[in-house]
Amino acid sequence: MSMNVQPDIHFIRDMKEAGGDTLKKCFQCATCSVVCPLSTDENPFPRQQMIYSQWGLKDKLIGDPNMLLCHHCGDCTAYCPRGAKPGDVMGAIRAYAYKFYGWPTPLANLASSGKNLPFLVAIPALVVFLVWLISGSNVLPHEEFLHDGFSNFFGEGYVTLFGIKLLSRNVFFINSFMIPTAALASFAAFKGVTALWRKMSENAGVGEALYRPSVPQFVKEFLWPSLVEIVQHDRFKKCETNQERTRGHQPLMWSFIGLFFVTTYSFVSQDILGYFIPSLHGPMSMLNPVKMVANIAAIALLVGIVILWKNRNEMVEKKQASNTFYDWFLIWMIAGVGVTGLGAEILRLVGVLKLGYLVYYLHLVSVMMLFLYMPYTKFAHLVYRTCAMTFERYRDSAYVKNPVNNG
Amino acid sequence: MSDATKTGAVLVVGGGISGLTAALEAAEVGNEVYIIEKNPYFGGRVAQLNQYFPKLCPPTCGLEINFKRVKNNRKIRPYTMTTVKSVSGGPGNYEVELETAPRYVNSNCTACGDCAEACTDEIDNAFNFGMNKSKAIYLPHEMAFPRRYVLDKDACSADCLEAVKGACKYNAIDTEMAAETFTVNVSSIVWATGWNPYDRKKLDNLKPESSPAIISNMMMERMAAPNGPTGGKILRPGDDKEIESIAFVQCAGSRDENHLEYCSYICCMATFKQMTYIRERYPEAKIYVFYIDLRTPGKYEHFREKLRTDANSSFIKGKVADIIAEDDGGVTVVAEDAVGGGKVQQKVDMCVLATGMKPALGEQGKALGLKMDGNGFVVSEPEKGMIAAGCAKSASDVYTCTQSATAAALKAIQNAQ
Repeated sequence: MSMNVQPDIHFIRDMKEAGGDTLKKCFQCATCSVVCPLSTDENPFPRQQMIYSQWGLKDKLIGDPNMLLCHHCGDCTAYCPRGAKPGDVMGAIRAYAYKFYGWPTPLANLASSGKNLPFLVAIPALVVFLVWLISGSNVLPHEEFLHDGFSNFFGEGYVTLFGIKLLSRNVFFINSFMIPTAALASFAAFKGVTALWRKMSENAGVGEALYRPSVPQFVKEFLWPSLVEIVQHDRFKKCETNQERTRGHQPLMWSFIGLFFVTTYSFVSQDILGYFIPSLHGPMSMLNPVKMVANIAAIALLVGIVILWKNRNEMVEKKQASNTFYDWFLIWMIAGVGVTGLGAEILRLVGVLKLGYLVYYLHLVSVMMLFLYMPYTKFAHLVYRTCAMTFERYRDSAYVKNPVNNG
Repeated sequence: MSDATKTGAVLVVGGGISGLTAALEAAEVGNEVYIIEKNPYFGGRVAQLNQYFPKLCPPTCGLEINFKRVKNNRKIRPYTMTTVKSVSGGPGNYEVELETAPRYVNSNCTACGDCAEACTDEIDNAFNFGMNKSKAIYLPHEMAFPRRYVLDKDACSADCLEAVKGACKYNAIDTEMAAETFTVNVSSIVWATGWNPYDRKKLDNLKPESSPAIISNMMMERMAAPNGPTGGKILRPGDDKEIESIAFVQCAGSRDENHLEYCSYICCMATFKQMTYIRERYPEAKIYVFYIDLRTPGKYEHFREKLRTDANSSFIKGKVADIIAEDDGGVTVVAEDAVGGGKVQQKVDMCVLATGMKPALGEQGKALGLKMDGNGFVVSEPEKGMIAAGCAKSASDVYTCTQSATAAALKAIQNAQ
């Protein structure tokens, strides 16, 4: 068997920058694939990914589900006889892939380097500040803070067009930057996942099948079981040496699910129903079950991120991982969202007006960051890893495996 | 330094194949030589082998002729159970303080063996890596030189000591013997302190203590040796099963930053050699060799090629990184086949960890002021009269050791004149 190796030197350079600078030390002993608790007998990793990286075989790697199935437990790095840190290299491959599939490219490039951190913070900070300036609400309200909370952050009353009441000012201005941000992130994620699926199919030799699953079949047989596995953390729990990380990731994931629900609820109640029933605006009562979910989720988020923060430090200390911007940026962003969110709420409750407004502003900035950079940073694992886990199931199913179905 | 201050004598530390060679080469051209050995016998690691390269001789061939040369050479003063306490002075005139541990058996001993028969207490046989027991008073091995018993006094009860003393017809047992310290003046010192097998217990992912079926390559040598614990039979420790399959785990600790950073040089050839031990005894047994690279220096290439054609042997490129103890006494070794793809789970009756060479001198070398590299090997400083030989210098086979020992002797006597 011969293989035409066309190394991509830029890829190797990018890998080095993203924390994979040790990859050249690998001498292919394959210890990593055996000590890895996640790699299977038929599809072992990361030994193969190490040599592909050394050879600069970018195309093989960006369409390789295994790079995403790795959860960076760190056993491979701990047992590597050459200090080649396969766990870090796998992380660097993922970072590269998110950048590769990222759209628009300039934004993807911007979000994948620590050197750009000032810009990454400045963009949302500026956007939110400009919106606040445009909203004309440059006067801090003095009264009714306890009652209204931050619902007048962008000014009181309604936005009107030709005399027609559109939306409450706050809802209007928050939506003015959050909806485009969320739409961009969703579109970019969709585009990326589609491209990844195509690449993985191509690399795995999954040709045109005679019978393809219908959408409900696909969801039922492949996507849903993957989601169940993710929610239950089945694979994460196999990372025996790193159980602590599961204990951090699990509350974090649940808090995101909780906050997603709360945000959807408040979107419906404030932005849609609130149009007709203005009394729905303003902070919810602490006894409102939805508010309770929100508060529990906020605490779970902070607990989870503290555990993960500590764990990341320990992994670095134990030489299971290196310090990379890719890993830390997501931790920082989530910690930022949690601290500013809960901080703003507490400041509102104790009635500290000016500082409360500042923290609320920072909260809006950090939330926008999280959304805006989702498809390009480590946060992208949310969609890409789910895609790879779904693909793994599809690849091993009768749709692909049955020769009758592959003319 | 003027010639007048030079003693002209050479101290050789270590009485294995390298130390013996260096001592003989230096003495046979007329220099005074002291050779000291930590163990109660000379011969070192070679004495423990079943066969050794390049000609697959038994150790008697080679060691015996050297022992005879030592005995017949009045220029060589051999000391067993002796170690270096301190080194002072400078090049050309070192004052070395040595200490001889008590043997509790004096030179009256004729090695008749009556004491051992009378001895009631037993100890783990260190020469056989604890695979069997010996009496607390023992001859280290069949061809031990000097041919004299040793008493492990701490392992003996008072009654046992009485019985042992009573059994000796030659008044050779002296339980009051104490450690002796003495000083020698030498011009140069040859460090031939050899190696220890790397401690396999440190290979935690291979779980070497989970099953008696996991042995080391040096244990295999002892098993295959006619004077070994099994009398030359290769049987699974624990249940003495005749083996039908065996796996060799190469680079067990070598070429590994977490253990020995360097290639131990000998383990690939040791495995090929041990494959021949298996074949002699079990013509049909399945042999699996798991490796990163097969390193067969120089003309040893032919040896490998011969074994590669063995129909019942397979070579799998992939390091074993997990061993699972099975209920039937065997083990399953797990590796990724880097050529064929996919993980291999191979069930075998026994598995040999090809553990590497760890320099034996260790931290003591630094304390004595020796120049050492990051891995604990001694770096020669001929201008100072400090010369490394054999495996104290680098991991090597017997052939390379004798070459390096001869070179060391030459440097030592150049410094002594």
